[in-house]
Amino acid sequence: MSFDAALRATEILLALAFLQQSAEHLISRDRMLFAARAALCLMLLTGTQTPWALTGLMALALIMLHRFQGPYNGGSDRMSLLILTCLWLATLLPGQEAKELALGYLALQLLLSYVMSGWVKITNRDWRRGQALRDVFQFSAYPVCENLRRLADRRKLLWTASWAVMLFEILFPVALLSQTALIAALTIATLFHFANACLFGLNRFLWIWLAAYPSILWLQLRVIPV
Amino acid sequence: MLQTVKLLLPALVPSWRFFDVIAPSPRVEFTCLRSATDTPIIWHEFRPRPAQLPIRTLLRRLIWNPGWNDTLFVVSCAERLMDLPTDHSHTQILTRINAEIATKHPNTTHLQFRLVFVSRQGTELRKDITYVSPVHPRPQSPTP
Repeated sequence: MSFDAALRATEILLALAFLQQSAEHLISRDRMLFAARAALCLMLLTGTQTPWALTGLMALALIMLHRFQGPYNGGSDRMSLLILTCLWLATLLPGQEAKELALGYLALQLLLSYVMSGWVKITNRDWRRGQALRDVFQFSAYPVCENLRRLADRRKLLWTASWAVMLFEILFPVALLSQTALIAALTIATLFHFANACLFGLNRFLWIWLAAYPSILWLQLRVIPV
Repeated sequence: MLQTVKLLLPALVPSWRFFDVIAPSPRVEFTCLRSATDTPIIWHEFRPRPAQLPIRTLLRRLIWNPGWNDTLFVVSCAERLMDLPTDHSHTQILTRINAEIATKHPNTTHLQFRLVFVSRQGTELRKDITYVSPVHPRPQSPTP
C-alpha cells in the first residue's frame, strides 16, 4: 500500500469511526459538540478541505478531553486521538520524511497496542492460569448480560482463550515478515475486536482499531519491500 | 495548557496495558429518599445488565451502543472518584441517576448514591462499599 493510499484509507476509516461515535452522542446533552464533529467527518470522508477538517477535529478532540476530564470511552478514545494526531501531522507537516514519520509512529503504536497488551498479560500469573479471564467474566463490569457470567465456570475454555489471546498479541510482530501473514494477523485481530464488541460491548474499539490498519500495511511494505 | 498536556499525553504515548490486572470492579447503587434526613432502606443497582441479550441486539450494538458506552463512562467516573476524587466525576454520576429517577421514580424528592467495589479474595467474591455520597435534593422537586 502506497503512502498516499494509506493516508486516504486512514482518513476514510477514521471519519466513519468518528461518525459512528458521534451518532451515539446525538441523543445526549453534548449533541452540538458531536454534531460539529460529524460535519467535519463528512468533510474528511469526501476529501473536502482535509487539512481544515483535521484541524477542526483536533480542536474538538481537545474540547472533549476537557469536557469529560479525560477519555469518554477509555482505550478507544485514546486510539482515536492518536490516529487523529498522526493523521493531522502527516497531512500538515512539510516534507515527505516528516509525513512518513507521523504515519510510521501510528503503525508502531498499533503494533505496541498488541505486543504490550500481550506482554503485561503473559507476565501475570493469573493470566497464565486462566484466572484473570475468569475474573473478567465473573465480576468485572464488562460482560453485557448476566448469562455471560456463566462462562466463568468454563475453566478449560477460558485457559485456552487466555493463551490464544496472549500468544497472538505477543507474536503479532512476526506477521510483519510477510504481507500475507500481516493480512492474516489483521484479520484475526479484527475477529478478536469483534468478539470483544459482542461480549463486552466494546464496539468503538472495533471500528477505531480498523482505522489504524492501513498505516501498518504501508509500513510493512516500506520497511520490508517485497 | 498544562491540564491539556496532562490529558493528551496518555493518548499520544499510550501504555496499552489492557486488562493487565483485573482490579476491583465498581457498581453504582442509588437510593430514593423522601427527605434529606430519611434513612436509606433499598439500594437499587444503577443500570443493571439484562439477564440475556439476543444475537440481533449484540450485532446491532456493533454500530449503535450509546447506553452501554455511557454506562462504561459511569464505571470510569466511579473509578476516578476513588483514585482522584473530583466534582466532575461525582456530578456525572449524579446527573445520570437523576435522569433515570425522573422516569422510574418520579415522586422521589432526594437521592443518595454509593459505590460498591466487587473483587475476588481467594475463591470468594467480596463487596466493599467504598463511597457514599451526600443526600442530594432532586432538581425541581416540590417544596414541602
